[in-house]
Parts: sequence; structure tokens; C-alpha cells
Amino acid sequence: MEKGSKRQVVYIGLIVFVFIVYSLKLASIQLGEVPYKKMAINNALNKITLYPSRSNIFDRKGKLMVYSTQMYDLSSFPYEIMKLDTGLLCSILEIDLPTVRHLILDARIRAKKRQKNNSFNNSALFYANLSNKQFTLLRENIYRLPGFYIESRTDRQFATTSAPHALGYLGEADESLIELDGYNQPGDLVGITGIERFYEKQIRGIKGVKTVWQDRTYTERGVVKDTQFNYPSTAGPDVISSLDFDLQEYGRLLLNGKKGSIVAIEPTTGEVIAFINNPDYDPNTMVGRERAKTFKALLRDDQKPLYNRAVKGVYPPGSTFKTVMALIAMQEGVLTPETTHGCGGGYRLGSIRVGCHAHGGPLDLRGSIRISCNSYYCQVFRDIIDNPKYGDVKIGYAALEKHLRSFGLGSQLNIDLLGESRGNIPSVAQLNRRHGDRWKSSTVISLSIGQGEILLTPLQICNVAVIMANRGWYYAPHLVKKIDGFNDTSWDRKYRIKKFTSINPTYFATIIDGMSDVTKPGGTANGTGINDIEICAKTGTAQNPHGKDHSIYMAFAPKDNPKIAIAVLVENGGFGATWAAPIANLMIEKYLKPGAETSKPAMEERIKTSVIK
Amino acid sequence: MKYSPLNNNTQEKIDGLSIFLFIVLVIIGFLSISSATSEVNQEFYSLSPIAIKQLIWIGGSVVIIFTILYSNVVVIDYFTYGFYAFAILLNIAVLFLGREVSGAKSWFGFGGIGIQPSEFAKVATAMALAKYLGTYGIRFQGARNIAICLFIFLLPMAIILIQNDTGSALVFLSFFLVLYREGLPGFILISAVWLMFLAICRIVSEATGISSYYGYGLLLGIGSIMVFFARKDKGISTLITVIAVVSAAFYTIVGTVYSSILQPYQRDRIELVLGLKSDDRGLGFNLRQSKIAIGAGELWGRGYLKGTQTKMGFVPEQHTDFIFDTIGEEWGFVGATVFLLIFCGLLTRIVILAERQSTTFGRVLGYSLACVLFFHLSINIGMTIGLVPTIGIPLPFISFGGSSLWAFTLFLFTFLRVDQVRK
Repeated sequence: MEKGSKRQVVYIGLIVFVFIVYSLKLASIQLGEVPYKKMAINNALNKITLYPSRSNIFDRKGKLMVYSTQMYDLSSFPYEIMKLDTGLLCSILEIDLPTVRHLILDARIRAKKRQKNNSFNNSALFYANLSNKQFTLLRENIYRLPGFYIESRTDRQFATTSAPHALGYLGEADESLIELDGYNQPGDLVGITGIERFYEKQIRGIKGVKTVWQDRTYTERGVVKDTQFNYPSTAGPDVISSLDFDLQEYGRLLLNGKKGSIVAIEPTTGEVIAFINNPDYDPNTMVGRERAKTFKALLRDDQKPLYNRAVKGVYPPGSTFKTVMALIAMQEGVLTPETTHGCGGGYRLGSIRVGCHAHGGPLDLRGSIRISCNSYYCQVFRDIIDNPKYGDVKIGYAALEKHLRSFGLGSQLNIDLLGESRGNIPSVAQLNRRHGDRWKSSTVISLSIGQGEILLTPLQICNVAVIMANRGWYYAPHLVKKIDGFNDTSWDRKYRIKKFTSINPTYFATIIDGMSDVTKPGGTANGTGINDIEICAKTGTAQNPHGKDHSIYMAFAPKDNPKIAIAVLVENGGFGATWAAPIANLMIEKYLKPGAETSKPAMEERIKTSVIK
Repeated sequence: MKYSPLNNNTQEKIDGLSIFLFIVLVIIGFLSISSATSEVNQEFYSLSPIAIKQLIWIGGSVVIIFTILYSNVVVIDYFTYGFYAFAILLNIAVLFLGREVSGAKSWFGFGGIGIQPSEFAKVATAMALAKYLGTYGIRFQGARNIAICLFIFLLPMAIILIQNDTGSALVFLSFFLVLYREGLPGFILISAVWLMFLAICRIVSEATGISSYYGYGLLLGIGSIMVFFARKDKGISTLITVIAVVSAAFYTIVGTVYSSILQPYQRDRIELVLGLKSDDRGLGFNLRQSKIAIGAGELWGRGYLKGTQTKMGFVPEQHTDFIFDTIGEEWGFVGATVFLLIFCGLLTRIVILAERQSTTFGRVLGYSLACVLFFHLSINIGMTIGLVPTIGIPLPFISFGGSSLWAFTLFLFTFLRVDQVRK
């Protein structure tokens, strides 16, 4: 057996060969580049997000405005769904087969995005906001749906429906946002507008994580005990809004049947007390499963209920602007309280005529505010920009523009809302484009009475009232007063910087005297005033090339130590005193005498029940 | 010691190294099973029901070991054919009385316990083959003798194929390797490897759509060149021509079988192993998860009882056929190669022991043991790391299961007992 005996070498050779080949293969798997360990961990651990409650939002007096509600979502591992009992799923969710396919595809898109976003977790939202019945059925049957699990998160409920544009609504985080901050995952709800959006980072709280073991069928097999994998969520801190719940509701009531805005600000702080638009929408329809459907419907609505006209709508300020013109003229030294100009039912200059309503005799400055004389301000305007000290109308106008900008006009006031319009204060260049190079003061004379190229948002008009009340300064208006327990105090730094106009405070007295006459006999808003409250106001009528003029009114009260500044704009309301003035004055009364019955029940009744087509 | 049969002066000492390696392997097996079937988050080391069962099987094999060690070798020789016949009968009986487990009818069920007669058929066949070749005057020569040898192991193989347990049946092919030691010409095995190579080439061409004419062209070209150089020796050039023609014929047959006879799922399985197809959801899921498990071990492993891939069931059959994944995941590259080294050490030791036998019976039995273990090892581990198609056979001494453990213990210790009394 000599030959056979030699053959043992072949056997031992084979054994060595297999050992070497298998060791090399093991090395290539275990010491190679493929992140098998991560894949294994990803297989076995499911990091379930614990969604925090968003901040409760309170009004300035501590009344709850927005709060969080618990909701349940069905989440899934959309790429691991191997044997899906579609019949069961369909019957629980009460949907049909094509919808299930659609949902799976949607979930896969979300999971893809989530993985792209540095996450090894490939689970994603499948079906949001389960009804009670769906939730109960799913909880009983979830073991029959491998690859699915129930997640809880929070949604919103609004205690007041009067402030949708200020508070804002939530929506599913879009891709750009997800990539931007790395915090949100597809399917997460984030603030889209309003306070919800602007303070998203503070309001959303901090997500927690519960890590569970899961087996091959993606069935939960207990919580991972290692504490590094588990931490609770932290609810968003209480947010104290500057809004006044009751005033807000009242204002919304007064605006019924009318298009327009009400903005009220506490002059000494810049805190927005009321922020109302009509048309608006019921924010409680923008929650839950109906959110997307409601949103689409609102978007299509030609009443534009989503349009936040208080900060986005721009209007010629009309006669309310005369107060500003007068201040600038005094600052420029071309007007004194004693200056008088005749009227004669209008201002004529060559072929140009600016009409005025009938009033008797020449007026001084105080009277010109009370009566709102157009001729007076045409003259004042010409005096400013044709001032011999400048020698050129354009230099004169540039000086005027600079003063106007110091009122925060023509730029954003930096309220804590996104999408605020700048309005428009025309520059010399803009006037050149519009009127050609060789314009004169008479060419742009309509600017004198707040018409023409000058455009303001209702918020900016209100802010002019704030400046009047403060005699020359303001804080950037803001809707949030305080964020409780939020350590980073830098969020409100910009709301603590006092901004001064270029007008000497002493010039305000005469204008304010004039404004205090407006609601008195002989004033343009006579009869709308409130007993015991000295309201300083200015009416305005903005010419509207598309229809009936807009009714505008700005005011503050009381005259000394003002507590509230307000601007009201009623579209197509005609004369300022007709609609805007009574609304604003009722608001002032409501705010300064909370809880009391109105002293003008007839006026209130008329406003509440009127509809402007 | 004085009265122990092991101390009998007519006997050598039993091979301690083999027993040591056997004990190490069984312990590794038990620990792996215990880990693979443990619960996550368990605070205390507690045994799973499956681990306890394995402990009982181990207890049983201890009884088997002592029974063998204390019995007379003559008894082993005397009962060999009877044992073989009994094993064949059991394997036939299981076709009628057995319980179907995942498509194969190869288990007897007694309450919660299953017995797989095919496991015992391996040792019975090895003993019968050894006895036949060890019979005075019989050598692996002559058509009749060769036919009887082939019959001895192809019969159980055929029966087990009928049981639809392909994996266990294929194990019997390892007896061809045994026969090589007994004089089976090497060219037959080389031919087998050559034919396998041809088959793989043809399958690759079928599966990828590369024209099979390249294969014919190469055969023709290389054959012609070789014939040209050997043109002076008529015998060799004729032989080369014959080989080329046979190869071409085989190449054609494989093509036909592959494309028209094999079922699609069988084709899928083959293509998956050949790396022609990647399918992470369906068939490939098991292989992918097995690789993730082993790969997750990295150099030093994730630690004992910390292998999530195996205990969470991502790896299929994690305590039986895929038990090696637990070793790879929890003990890493270092542990896995040390394990391979231990197993290969045992195999080498058995080959050396087999070679030192003075009887043909002992030698054939030893080589059978080495070859069957070698086949199991390379197929089982090759399957978990993706070198071999998924064929469900256990890893001897390691995988959970009484039949496999008992049969291999019986096999190993019968041989060691025979080795002990070698003259």
C-alpha cells in the first residue's frame, strides 16, 4: 500500500486548502469595507421617535390659545414588507387596495429621504392620524402586520379661531427643511406659518428616542436597556403671546362680513395686542387627516383666506399719512403750528387739481389734521421738497424720503412672522422711472396725501400710530412676549432695541392735539368716539383703482400715557370714518375697559351685522 | 485504572488529542446554541429550552461514548452488516412513517423529539464499506468488487434522495474520496473536477447570455493545439481527442439540462451562489443575513450572547444549519479562524490515525470519518459565507440536534475504539 499511503498527503492538502480559502473569505467579509456591523445593528434596533408636545401658546393674560393633542400614526418599514395581509390592513384603515399601494410607495419615498439624511433607520410614516377605532383595531392586530408599528405624535388644537394668521398652522416638513436642519424626518409636522413657523425651533421641543429590539419579522422584542439608546422627549416651553385673547375674538367679530385687517400694538413695548384679518380660516380644520384636503381647498378659495393681509397687503395710507408729512415739514423747518393755508375746496396748480371737502376758512396745523385738508398738505409737501435750501426738487425729495424711512416705512418692520411686505416709499430713482427725469413737486403732488406710489401694510400704519403715541420712537412689533424656561434669551434681542425717528419729539404735540380732535365735533370721525377715553386718531381713505375706496383709520389712546395703538383697514369701506373708525374705537374701548359693556351699543350692533360686498 | 478495559495490556491508549478536540467542539457547539436561542435583554445567564435539550443530547452521547469504550471491538465487527441493514430499513421506513419537515420526509417523530435515520446511515455505511473492503482477499479492484463498493453507499444515498433530503444524500458522495485512498484512480476525481468546471462555465454562459459557442471554440482550439504538439504519440493524441469530444458532449448536456430540465427555483439557487444574481429580498435574504451576521463580528467579535443577527432570527436556522454565524458574529474573525483551525486539526488528526491503522477496516473507517466530516464542514461553512449553494446539512458536533450529534459521536468513537486496539 505504498502508493495509497502517499495519498494521505492529498487529504491533508485538501484540508489545508479549505482552511486557507475559507479563512481568506472570512477575512474579506469580517475585515472588509462593507459596514456589516452597522447593518446588523440597523436590523435589530428600531429607534422609535418619541415626539414631544409642542409648546402651549397663551395670550398675554395667560389664556390658552393653542395646545397639543395626542395622535397616533401607523409607521412601517416600507422596504421590508414581505408578506402583507393587505385585506386586514384595508379593513382596519377602511381603504382600498390601490390606496394601500399608494401609501407604501409614499412611505418608501419618505424612507429614502430619511436614509439620505444620514439615518440608517429605514422606517417611515405610513398612515398619519389614526382614528380611535383604527387605533384600537391596529393595537390588537399589529402582530399580524409585521413591519408595521404604531407611533404617537402630537397635533394641534386651537382654543381660539380668531387668530389663524398670527398663530399659524402645521404641515409636513418638506425636503428643503429636512436637509437644512437635520432634525426633522419626512412625515414630521412643523410650523408652516405664523408663530408656529417663526418659533419652530423653540416650540417643537426636543424629540426623545425609545430603542427597541426587533426580530426578523420586525416585531418588537422589548426595549433596549442601555440608557444611551433611550431618552425621553422634552415638551416645548410655554409660549406667552402678546395677543389679547378677548380683544382678538372681539375684533374678529367686528370684522365679520368685511374684508380687512385690524392690528393693535402696545406702544411702549411693541407687543402686538390684536392681529386680525378677514377673510381667514378656521385653524381647527387645518389639523389631523383633513389638513392636506383643507389646505388645498383654502388655496383654491378666491376669497384668499390664507392671505395674511395685515403684513402682506399693501395700501396707499391716504390721509393718515398727513400726520407724518406735518412732522417732517416741522423738522425741515417749513411748517410751524401757526402756519395757515387756505383751501377753497381744493388745491389747484396749473392743470392739476386735488379736491378737498367743504370746510370753512383757512386752517392752522391742528385744524388741518382735524379736518384733513388736502390743500393744506399739498402746500406742506411742496414746501418740503421745493425748499430753497436744497435748490433741487430731487434733493428735497430725498430729504423727505430719508425722514419717511426713519418711520420704518419702505422696509420690513421685522415682526416675528415670515413674508412681511416692505410696502413702498418711492425713491428718486423710482419717481424718475415713473414720471421721467424732469418731474416737479406738482407731478408727484398726490404723495402729499398718502396716495400715488406710497404703499403701507396695515402693520406699518399701526406702527405709525405707535410712533405718534410714543412721540417719536418704536420697538419692532412682535407677537411673542415671553418663552418660559427657554434659556437662550437672544431670541428677543431685536425686540428690545428702541428705534427713533428723525423727528424732534417736541413737534409731536401739535399733531397729537389735532388727532385728539378727530373724534370730536368738527373732526372727520365725529360721533365714533368713546366717552371718557381720549382717543387720538386720523382717518384715511385710500383710493382704490379697482373699486370702492378703502376705509382706513389709525389711532392711539389714551392721549397721555398711551396703552394701545391701532390701525384698521376695511377694504372697499369708503370713507375712513364709516367703518374703520368705529371698529378701532370699539377695540380701544374693549381693551381699555375689559369686561365692560360698550358705551356705543348701536354702533357696535351696526358694525357687527354689516356686510360689505 | 487497573480494571479499566482502557488499561488492558493488549490495547494502546485511546487517542487523547482527538477526544480533547471533540470535547472542545461540543462545548463550543453548546455555547453557540445557547447564545443563538437566548432572549435579548436577559439579565442572568439562563438556558433556553433548546440549550437544555442539547444538554440532554450531550448527556446521551456520553452514554454512547462509554458504551463503545467498554464494549469489545469484536462486537463492532460482528454487528456491522446488521447495523447497515437496520439503517437502510429505517431509512425506508421513514418514507412511510416519517414526518414531513420542510419538504423532506426524513424524520421520525416521537412526541417532541425527532430522529433522523439518515444521520446514522452515514456511520453504518462507512462501517459496511470498511468491513467489505477489509474482508480477506477483497480489494478495490475488479468490476464486481467495485460495483459492490459503489452499491454500499449509493443505495442509502438513493433512498435519502427519495426522502427529498438532498443535502444528506450528497454527503454520500464523500465516499468517492475514501475510495481514492483505496486505489480509485486519481484521474476519475480530476475528471470530476474538470466536468464540474465545464458545468459551471456552461451555467454561467446560460445565465448571463454569453454565447456557449465560446466554450466549444476553446475546447476545439486548445484540443487542436495539444493534438498538434502530441502528434507523434498516437495514443496521447487519441486520448486528447476523446477527452475533448466527451467534454463537448457533457458541455452540451449541461446546457440542455440547465435550461430545459431544472426548475426555475433550482436555477435561481445555483445562479445565486455563482454570484450571477443578487436578490436581497427573496432567496438571497438568508445568504445576505448570514453574511451580515459574520461580517458584524469584525476582528474580535461582538461578544458572547451579543449577536443580534442570530438571536433575533435574521439568520435562518440559527441554531442548526447556520450555527457558524453565531461563532462568526460573537467571536469575530479571530474566533472563527480558531474554530476552523480546531476542526481542521481534528480532521488532520483523524487522517493521521487512519493512516496508522494496520487493518483495512480501520483505515477505511478512519478515512470515511475524515471525508464525511470534511464534506460537512466545507459545505456547511461554505454555505454560510456564500462559497457553496445553500445545502441544509448540519455542522458536526456544533449544530443543534440529537441525531447528528449521536451519529457523529458514534462514528468518531467507534473509530477511536478501533484505533485503540490496532496491532
